[in-house]
Amino acid sequence: MLQVRNASVFFSARDGRVVHALDRASLDIDANSIVVALGASGCGKSTLLNAIAGFLPLSEGSITLDGQPVANPGADRGVVFQKDTLLPWSSVADNVALGLRFAGVPARERRERAEELLGLVGLEGFADAFPHELSGGMRQRVGIARALATDPKILLMDEPFGALDSLTREQMQELLIDVWARTGKRIFFITHSIEEALFLGTTVVVMSPRPGRIVARFDLDFVRRFAAERDVRAILSAPEFADLYDEIRSLVHRPHAEADSRRAVLQ
Amino acid sequence: MTDLARAGSRASDPADRPKIVRLHPFGLDGARTGPISFATALLLLAAWFLATHYRLVPPLFLPTPQEVATQFLAVVEDGYAGATLWEHVSASLFRIFSAAVIAASLGIPLGLAMGLNRWAKGVFDTPIEFYWPLPPLAYLPLMIIWLGIGEVSKIVLLTLAMFAPVCLSAQAGVRALPIERVNAALSLGASRWQLFRTIVLPSALPEILTGLRIGIGVGWSTLVAAELIAATRGIGFMIMSASHFLATDVVFVGIGIIAAFAFAFSYGMRLLEAWLVPWKGKS
Repeated sequence: MLQVRNASVFFSARDGRVVHALDRASLDIDANSIVVALGASGCGKSTLLNAIAGFLPLSEGSITLDGQPVANPGADRGVVFQKDTLLPWSSVADNVALGLRFAGVPARERRERAEELLGLVGLEGFADAFPHELSGGMRQRVGIARALATDPKILLMDEPFGALDSLTREQMQELLIDVWARTGKRIFFITHSIEEALFLGTTVVVMSPRPGRIVARFDLDFVRRFAAERDVRAILSAPEFADLYDEIRSLVHRPHAEADSRRAVLQ
Repeated sequence: MTDLARAGSRASDPADRPKIVRLHPFGLDGARTGPISFATALLLLAAWFLATHYRLVPPLFLPTPQEVATQFLAVVEDGYAGATLWEHVSASLFRIFSAAVIAASLGIPLGLAMGLNRWAKGVFDTPIEFYWPLPPLAYLPLMIIWLGIGEVSKIVLLTLAMFAPVCLSAQAGVRALPIERVNAALSLGASRWQLFRTIVLPSALPEILTGLRIGIGVGWSTLVAAELIAATRGIGFMIMSASHFLATDVVFVGIGIIAAFAFAFSYGMRLLEAWLVPWKGKS
C-alpha cells in the first residue's frame, strides 16, 4: 500500500514569495485500485505526483510504499509523463527495456520482455521502429510499456493523455483499463478532465488550488464495470455518471474567497 | 442520406492533373540551393578567366587560371621551398589532427563536467571566458617565447584555439538536457553513472559534434596564421614564402589546397553527424 500522510509542500516563487503548493494531503492507494487526482491547474496534483515519484522532497508529512519511506526516484514506482520522454536515439524495444538495462538484465531477455510488453499495449511489430516514426498516442503506449517493464509496485501517470486528440485519448483510456485489468497494477493518475477521472478512477480525489488540497473523495465502480462489460455507452449514459459529473463540476468550479479576490484585482 | 463524397467528386476529366498548391513559404523552407551555388562557382571562374584574358588586372596581382593549374602540377612534381607538396600538406594535417585530438579529449570531458558540477564550472569558467575571445595571433608571440618555434608551440596554439568551442558546446549540450528525461531515467532505476552514460552523453552529442566542426574550422584559420610566422614546412609557410617572391600563382595554389581540405573536413563532419546523431532535429 502507498500511503501519503499530511503531505505539505512550500515552494519559493521567483519573486521570493512562498507558494503553498500542497497542504496536508493524505491519500491511500491500495492494491488493484486506480486513484485519480482531479483539479484545475495549480491545485497541487502534479506536486503530489512528483513527491510520490521521489522527484521532490516534502516540506512536511510522509510518503511510504509498503512501509518503506519514499525519498528518491526508484524503479519500484514507474512514471508516465505528459510529454513523452523516450530516447530519440533508441529503438522502441530499447526504450521499453531501458529500466531492465539499468537493472543489468541480459540483452536477450530484455528483448523478449520488451516484445511481450509491446504486445500488451498493442504495438506488436514496432519493436525496431524509432520514436520519431510513431504518432503521439503510440509514443505514450511505449511510455506505458517502459514504465511497466521494471514491474513497479505502482504506476504514476501525470496527465499522460493530456496532449492527445480526443479520439486517441478514448482509445488510450480503454487500453489503460485493459492493462490495469490484466496486470493488476495500482495506478495514481492525474487529469483535469472530469469525464476521464470518472471513467478511470476506482477512487477520485478532487483537489482545489491556493493552497493545493484535497477537498473531496469519491469511491467509484465505473472502471470495474467497464472492465467487466466493455460497454462505454452504458457507462457514459448512466444517470449516476451524469450526477457525479455535475457534483464534481460544481466542486471544481466552486468560487473560493482567494480566487475571487484575485479576479477582482485582475479586472 | 446523400453520399456527399461521391456527389461532390470532380466533374472534369480525370486525366487532367489537378493544380497542386501548398502554403506560401517563408525564408528558405528547404528549397534547393545546390544548382545556384554551382552556377555561381562557374560564373566566378569565368569572371576570373575573362579578367585575366583581357588583362583587366596585371598578371602579377591575378594570375590566369591556366598559370595556377600549371603551377599546381609543378608543385606536385617538384615541391616548393625545399619540400614536396606532400611534406607541406602532411605537416599541416599533422598539426591540425594532433591539436583536434588533444582539444577534444580535454574539452569534451571538461565541458561535460562544467555542465554538471558546480566546482568544475566555478573553477574553469573564469580562465576559459578570459582567454577564448582573444585572437590566437595575439598570444602567438608568447607561445613562441615560451615554447620555441618547433611543433609544440604551433600545436599548443591550435589546441587553445579549438578547445574553447568544443568545451563550450559540450557545456551547452548538458544544459539543453530536459529535466523530464533525467527524471524518467531516475524513475527507471538509473545509477549516477548509468544516467551519465545513457542519457547525458548521447543528449549532448549533437552539440558536441557542432562544437568539433566549429573547432576544426577555427583550427584551419589559426593554422595558417601560425605557419606564416614560424615554420619551414606547411601550407601556410608555402604561401608565405611564395609571397616573398611575388609568386601569386603559388599563393593561389596554396589557398586552393587549404580550401579543399577545409571543405572536405567540414563535409566529413556532416557525414559523421548524420551517422552518429541521425535523430537530430527529429524528436
